[in-house]
Amino acid sequence: MSKYREVLAAGLLGLLASAGSASPQDAAAGEKVFAKCKACHAVGGGAKHRVGPHLNGLIGRTAGTAEGFRYSPAMMKAGEGGLVWSEGTLKPYLVDPKKIVKGTKMAFAGLKQDADVANVIAYLASFSQGGAEKKAQAAPAAAQPPSQEKTASTKPMVPAPAQQPGVAVEPAEQTIEQVSSSSAEQPVAAAAKSAGAQPSQAVGDGVVLKLGRTATEDEIAAWDIDVRPDGVGLPVGHGTVSQGEQIFDEKCASCHGDFGEAVGRWPVLAGGQGTLQNDRPEKTIGSYWPYLSTVYDYVRRAMPFTNPRSLSNDEVYALTAYVLYLNDVVQDDTFELSNENFTAVRLPNEANFTQDDRLSEPHYANRRDPCMSSCVPGKAQITTHAAVLDVTPEDAGTDDSEAPAAGIE
Amino acid sequence: MTDRTESQASSRRQFLKSSLLGGVAIAGAAASGRAAAAGEPLITEVQEWNQYPGEGVGTRPYGQPSQFEQHVVRKTVPWLTADAISSVSFTPLHELDGIITPSGLCFERHHGGIAEINSTDHRLMINGLVEKQLVFTMADLKRFPRENRVYFLECAANSGMEWRGAQLNGVQFTHGMLHCVMHTGVRLKHLLDEAGLRTSGKWILAEGADASAMTRSIPIEKALDDCIVAFAMNGEALRPEQGYPLRLVVPGWEGNMWVKWLRRLEVGDQPWQQREETSKYTDLLPNGKARRFTFSMDVKSVITNPSPQSPITHGKGHTVLTGLAWSGAGAISRVDISIDGGRNWKTARLDGPSFSKALHRFYHEFDWDGSELFLQSRAMDDQGFIQPTKDELRSVRGANSIYHNNGIQTWHVGKDGVVENVEIS
Repeated sequence: MSKYREVLAAGLLGLLASAGSASPQDAAAGEKVFAKCKACHAVGGGAKHRVGPHLNGLIGRTAGTAEGFRYSPAMMKAGEGGLVWSEGTLKPYLVDPKKIVKGTKMAFAGLKQDADVANVIAYLASFSQGGAEKKAQAAPAAAQPPSQEKTASTKPMVPAPAQQPGVAVEPAEQTIEQVSSSSAEQPVAAAAKSAGAQPSQAVGDGVVLKLGRTATEDEIAAWDIDVRPDGVGLPVGHGTVSQGEQIFDEKCASCHGDFGEAVGRWPVLAGGQGTLQNDRPEKTIGSYWPYLSTVYDYVRRAMPFTNPRSLSNDEVYALTAYVLYLNDVVQDDTFELSNENFTAVRLPNEANFTQDDRLSEPHYANRRDPCMSSCVPGKAQITTHAAVLDVTPEDAGTDDSEAPAAGIE
Repeated sequence: MTDRTESQASSRRQFLKSSLLGGVAIAGAAASGRAAAAGEPLITEVQEWNQYPGEGVGTRPYGQPSQFEQHVVRKTVPWLTADAISSVSFTPLHELDGIITPSGLCFERHHGGIAEINSTDHRLMINGLVEKQLVFTMADLKRFPRENRVYFLECAANSGMEWRGAQLNGVQFTHGMLHCVMHTGVRLKHLLDEAGLRTSGKWILAEGADASAMTRSIPIEKALDDCIVAFAMNGEALRPEQGYPLRLVVPGWEGNMWVKWLRRLEVGDQPWQQREETSKYTDLLPNGKARRFTFSMDVKSVITNPSPQSPITHGKGHTVLTGLAWSGAGAISRVDISIDGGRNWKTARLDGPSFSKALHRFYHEFDWDGSELFLQSRAMDDQGFIQPTKDELRSVRGANSIYHNNGIQTWHVGKDGVVENVEIS
């Protein structure tokens, strides 16, 4: 604990230094004045609403508009009437809140010393506009999870001192609160209705720590190869069905079969149209996949299976064109697919995808206490037995582990 | 015992020990001239491990489970997939207790094999609709505030082979695409804050660095809520099979979204419709329509013991039944047990920590009279969701939707204590 106090002390010193440099005359003194406000208001990195709204970005904020705080009708009305917080409007309010905004929830009598008012406004101003960001970076202490390694990990969290001389930490009281309440017990299953929350405390939201570096254009281009249905992400290029057939025979047919019918359990690429309502639907690019962009994207990122990222963009266009041909989406083997005509091609099953509506199923709606006795008539009769693994029919699985195997009648 | 002796036969020291033991036994019998002491020789005779010191410290710098637990391993079902490079191995749930899955037993699902990446060579990029497109090293990521969270991870296809009826005879295979560990990492929100999320950003794309370059689209609300970019599990670095050095944690949502070897997060204004969210992980219904973006995992439970791989061997009498329950919607509030195939139910005893979106352990102790049993468990979560029967699911979804089978499992216990995966009427 003594070590911890040292860290706090260092932080406070830093705070004083920083405040002093940010607003030469007043902010440091204002921080002391703000002690009177802290019971209800938070300011700085990670500050959240308490009894009163957080005060980051206060200067320039229209009264009654901090998101997520429940203001008095009077304060909201004042904002609607044009009250914007500035040095000029805060001054009289802090001297006598209820006189300026009659009906405000703020139960504070007011500051009597003009110097206190000016200083606390200077302090708050340092968390507004440019000042807010500076202070936000100073939130490492508040931003850390409560843990035994707190003191040890405080140091590296502080942004580089050379760039941010004397950055502040959160007010001491707040930090200590976090530590003292961090010994949250693990909820015990048997005990509690209220169980389920994982012990945690807010770690600074909106905190910018200036970590990482800017990605270069070339780096982004190297990794960002995803393609969307609207064509965003398509590279410039082209390829024909017959070009695709050659590449397919050479690099794809050993798994997917000469015509996309697949070898063994490798994925079937073509056929199956009209089977989706069958007992054994055949889900292929032509029968099931909603978007052609997925074919281009997937082949480019992950195929051929044993050598992904080895195909040129034109080769991927050619293969995509060939898959369209195998699925009778295009009939002409001179068809050329390119970034120009790509989005004009639609796959047959696009319209048959729906959003998640599981909640509409009857068993979700039934949230009553379930039956506990005599729920089903008669004695249980076995309808299906599990197959012993080594006698499960060979044709039971399909391309992927998630495929259903054969049922036992 | 025989196996163990044989396996150690090459050790000269072991050989000497055995000889000595034999000598002592003979000498003892000759000297006393009496019958062997009444009772179990394991107790009445001095055992080898009691008589000779074992290996010293440091001989096992990274400890392994006891040699007598070598059967507790992940297993595969080879016929399920074309190749092990894109396949699955299953967690041996029937051998485990509590709620935490040991790291080395967490099921695997790879789409391009296990990527082996030195953490110093790993980078995480954030690009797209952000103010600053960033690259982080692992060292950078460890300078963000860390969080520790216990969450289950379930493959959306867990129990997917059971839609048409009871098929795989073991809880490891019917329910073993499931694990629960404590992850340590950085809140995804903090990384997005660091890059400066633009208000037009509605989805993120998470991408892996492996040979499948796995990608999934995730709604921004979820990304900002509770997702974690994790570098540790159960207190140590992620295992390679689980995405070392970095994976995404998407609490309560299907396992495929927890992208391993996470190298890139792109912010966009719409989903990307990647392969694993269109051709896979979509739920085909009897009318030919398919549900897409069925992210959350429903309330579910299963009895892990007794189960086909863990029969009752002690005969009738006091019997401990145990199992797991979980829900992507929150914490488990209750688990009921039936031993007569759902005719009558009793509330099981939950024990251990109860975390939202984590496994919960339940027990039910009963006096088995030696008769045939049909064991079932039924979980309820704190949002009021109740685990449905398989028939309830099939009546709406048919048998071809592959994913999200959270139906109630039935184990048949024969009079001999042998357990089988069945379905009943």
